[in-house]
Amino acid sequence: MGNVLEQLLNALALAGLLFLVSAGLSLVFGILRVVNFAHGVFYMLGAYLGFTTVALTGWFWPALVVVPPVVGLLGALLESSTLRFIYRRQPIYQLLLTFGLALILEESIRVLYGPTAKGVEPPALLQGAVDLGGLLYPRYRLFLVVLGCTVGVAVWLFLRTTRAGLVIRAVAQNHEMADCLGADVARVRTLVFGAACALAGLGGVAAAPMTTAYLGMGIGVIVDAFVVVVIGGLGSIGGSMAGSLIVGAAQTWGAFYLPETAMVIMYAVMGAILVFRPWGLLGEEE
Amino acid sequence: MSGSRALALAALAALAIVPWVLARHQLSLLTDLMIAGLFAMSLDLIMGYTGMVSFGHAAYFGLGAYASALILLHFAQPVPVALLAGAALAGAVAVPVGWLSTRATGIYFAMLTLAFAQFLYTVAYKWRDLTGGSDGIAGVPKTQLFWGGPSLASPNAFYFLVAVCLVLSLVLCRALVRSPFGRALQAIRENERRFTSLGRDARPFKLVVFVIAATFAGLAGALFAPFRGFASPEVMFWVFSGQGLMMVVMGGIGTLVGPIFGAMVFILIQEVLSSYTEHWMIFTGLVFVLIVIFLPGGLVGTARRIVARG
Repeated sequence: MGNVLEQLLNALALAGLLFLVSAGLSLVFGILRVVNFAHGVFYMLGAYLGFTTVALTGWFWPALVVVPPVVGLLGALLESSTLRFIYRRQPIYQLLLTFGLALILEESIRVLYGPTAKGVEPPALLQGAVDLGGLLYPRYRLFLVVLGCTVGVAVWLFLRTTRAGLVIRAVAQNHEMADCLGADVARVRTLVFGAACALAGLGGVAAAPMTTAYLGMGIGVIVDAFVVVVIGGLGSIGGSMAGSLIVGAAQTWGAFYLPETAMVIMYAVMGAILVFRPWGLLGEEE
Repeated sequence: MSGSRALALAALAALAIVPWVLARHQLSLLTDLMIAGLFAMSLDLIMGYTGMVSFGHAAYFGLGAYASALILLHFAQPVPVALLAGAALAGAVAVPVGWLSTRATGIYFAMLTLAFAQFLYTVAYKWRDLTGGSDGIAGVPKTQLFWGGPSLASPNAFYFLVAVCLVLSLVLCRALVRSPFGRALQAIRENERRFTSLGRDARPFKLVVFVIAATFAGLAGALFAPFRGFASPEVMFWVFSGQGLMMVVMGGIGTLVGPIFGAMVFILIQEVLSSYTEHWMIFTGLVFVLIVIFLPGGLVGTARRIVARG
């Protein structure tokens, strides 16, 4: 029984991280119609900047607050200096542009930080384990569950209840019409891209104490995040949540019961869902 | 027309004499470039002519490489047998993948092909007994041309084999895109909805061209394994799929010849940059970004525009 609970919590912790990354990927696709291949690198950048902040200040909490805006700012700058000029082209060009950006960023991080992985100490409050009715469970993973849920609810409320959220949804639905009605579409795109990068950066900072900051973590996470949004449906925040939970569960239980084939299970689940709904669980048919 | 025919003849003549002109390592590099060119050209069939962006094309290259490596290593068959087996395996695996992936369109199709390719990559990585896991399969021999026939071990012989495969594939693909089938593919690319409303079903066309493209990618992979002497999971990794897309865009989407040159320029840029700096990936990325923004027609597309402007 304790085992089942432990696996369930592990799945939720992984889902929390996956959600932070895939929500931004999905949001950017919904608003900009761009599949951002560089998204995983912003996650990685978040982890490395988190390492730097912890090394400078000695605390973990400042990293959680400072790093996401910095990553978001960089994302917004890159969007307005490159992607902005090619929205009218076919999607393949945008995909390749972000592929190029991913190569530049990944290699730049290698130049700055060197090839070795950087460990990040979790804050004292989240170290050690907590007793859950006989099950000793790491506090940090519980924190990831809480963080994923909090951000998920916050993003959902922001999009549903605020005026800015309304404009963003309008641009997602029909950017030409939104433009005609006076929405500054270019600005919305830049801000959404930046916000999505900030979310990925937050995911990176949060992941660092668990996985360390290492080269290649961006590529690993982007493929998982792709699976999440394909399952959940591109452009849907609810879909990202559902997809994250499914992938988190498939990977956790797969790794526990069938360690050799954990990845295979994730793709099998995805294939099964797509046979019935090619546009994802909560996505809209094109 | 006569101008392009003269160009084609000149290119064939050049292919025939280079082994006597180039130094040994240059010839080996050229062989490498031609294999990459074949791979990029196969991708252009689906990407340029049908408008389906596959982000998992490397998987079929890798399947061809593994099939070829296993057959040459364990059964010592002539190379063409390994080539056929590699192409056939890639085409066969592309049938279920294509059947599932063509249910979706646009970006969903790209992500599905990526996911299936990563799945195949994982299988190659984990199935140690068959594929050697992360070490891959080493020591793949260049056997003979046919049973009891001449050996292909010399650089010149293998170069000619690759050149013949490339030229034949190019001729076949050109005939394909100019056939009624190819016209239908281009109609799907231009306006799938209209194609459907004219009473045709687009999916069988997409599935068939997907399988054909995978078969040619498998052929390229099957040449790669004996040429390099190994097959490893890296050739199935998504980075290689992304590079394939870049080769096509660099050379010129929907031109067949363009992607071959695109692949050659792409690899040459990497070769040159990596001899100057360890961090060549930054500059490769920069070249990507600049080409995407400033040369949307690729090398061949831009050259044609300049010629047309005259």
